[in-house]
Amino acid sequence: MRVFILIIAFIAVTSAKDFDYNLKAIQLAKNSYYIYGKEEYFSIQNGGDIANVSFIETNKSVILIDTGSSFAYGNQVKRLIEEKTKKPVKHIINTHHHSDHFLGNNAFKNATIYSDKFTAKEIKKNGELYIKNLVALLGETMKGTKIKNVDIILQNDNKDFDGYKLHFFYLKGHTKSDLVIYDKNTNILYASDLVFNNRALATIDANLKEWVNSLNLLKKIDYDICVPGHGKAFKDKTPLDLDIKYLNFLKTTLEYGNKNGLNVFEILDLKVPKEIKNFSMFEEEYERSIINLSNKQ
Amino acid sequence: MLRVLLLIIFLFASINLYAKNPISSPNFDDIRKEIIADEKYVFDDKNILIKVPKFADNPLQVPIFVDAKKIKNAKRLILFADFNPITKIIDMDLEKLLPIVSLNIKVAQETPIRALVLDKNGLWHIGSENIKSFGGGCSVGSLSSLNEELKKLLGKGKISVYKNNTTFKIKSSIFHPMETGLVFGNEEFYINKIRIKTDKNIVLSTIKTYSSISENPRFTFETKEETKNFILELHDTSGNEFLLSSKK
Repeated sequence: MRVFILIIAFIAVTSAKDFDYNLKAIQLAKNSYYIYGKEEYFSIQNGGDIANVSFIETNKSVILIDTGSSFAYGNQVKRLIEEKTKKPVKHIINTHHHSDHFLGNNAFKNATIYSDKFTAKEIKKNGELYIKNLVALLGETMKGTKIKNVDIILQNDNKDFDGYKLHFFYLKGHTKSDLVIYDKNTNILYASDLVFNNRALATIDANLKEWVNSLNLLKKIDYDICVPGHGKAFKDKTPLDLDIKYLNFLKTTLEYGNKNGLNVFEILDLKVPKEIKNFSMFEEEYERSIINLSNKQ
Repeated sequence: MLRVLLLIIFLFASINLYAKNPISSPNFDDIRKEIIADEKYVFDDKNILIKVPKFADNPLQVPIFVDAKKIKNAKRLILFADFNPITKIIDMDLEKLLPIVSLNIKVAQETPIRALVLDKNGLWHIGSENIKSFGGGCSVGSLSSLNEELKKLLGKGKISVYKNNTTFKIKSSIFHPMETGLVFGNEEFYINKIRIKTDKNIVLSTIKTYSSISENPRFTFETKEETKNFILELHDTSGNEFLLSSKK
């Protein structure tokens, strides 16, 4: 009987597999890929796979941009990269401090993590809290997720990664510090969460005015492909214009509400332009934006 | 005799039918008894509109809006949340105020919120709505009480008045930590009374408030009382008194 229980227990333990993200690498250039995150909010069903992650294969190594929401996600990104190349992931860039972009860090034991100063500070200061919050939302999926802090603070406009040069823009608006990476070799712009492609913008830490300024700056870059933080990669400038429109709409709507003494629900009832309403996740994000931004006013 | 008995049974059954709680919770009856004892009540979502977010992301600042204008000559409006450790939110005397209020509250977990409105015949109308949230709002210490500027900012606020046809909307906000006292080491410290007056010292309403209201609270009240200037007199549990005046 005891043996039987042990066998059952053994089966139960060994069959308790990690969440399967079923990740796919979408090729953008000969050496460049991105993994498309679902346009959804964190849920047990998606395991927190809600943000885009990109990687670039260089002559000697792989540069990974963001690492997703969990240790399991990071591990599966690692496996996916191993299917494409034998080169190791040596460099990881964290674009900003939101939990869907850096909590896969600790799956890459031998990689050096880069970010700008503010992001590094936030990860160190609030990382554990982010994990706690995601455990509440994702449960078991978060197993093994630990904070792996930033090793090197980026300060310069350019950096050479094993002979592969990348250009950095230190911008803000989505958070107090958003890192945008421009790869001249492939003419791809990795825009971080400053750009959402037809997906309602997340404004929890946003400064609307600064965000619009950053987007106007990005519009001047003559990229072939832009990889947004959320939504599909794209070629033209239309998503940037739509994002600007969305942010300006939020700003004028809040100002109108404030001027006329409207409460958040009256503001939420105001008419919204069709192209903005068509964004994915509009219902959830718009309500969240109006509530959070009204509180800040 | 039998007919009377049948009628009584029928009436009793129909009252029960009407009295069906739209969002049942194990706490509701206890809280109701504590607040309105054995006074008569009906569930009345038709005449009481309660608005809450579809999902309350930030449990520390959950906006709520209650509109019971359809109940004419309402006398009193009380709000409470069944599953909050501090159930009561606000208790408004409506002598010269409309049964409308908007404010932000903290929620500890997903909870029904109730609006109790007393009509002129002494019957309580109860409106219900559910607030979906992961919660955690009541057991978190106030952020502003950690603010080094607290002493300088405490009680600073603003008040604006908006006229809409025959009603005046009084919108105000004030810097106050609204400490619940539920966090170990933090004593309760919150605004517990608001008096709305005109500049001619006519009291429009006296309102009791509780620490389930979010820090740096913001309130909107409505009145038909015509005056150029409204004054809000806010008292807290430490005996402070703050004055906000709409007079520019």
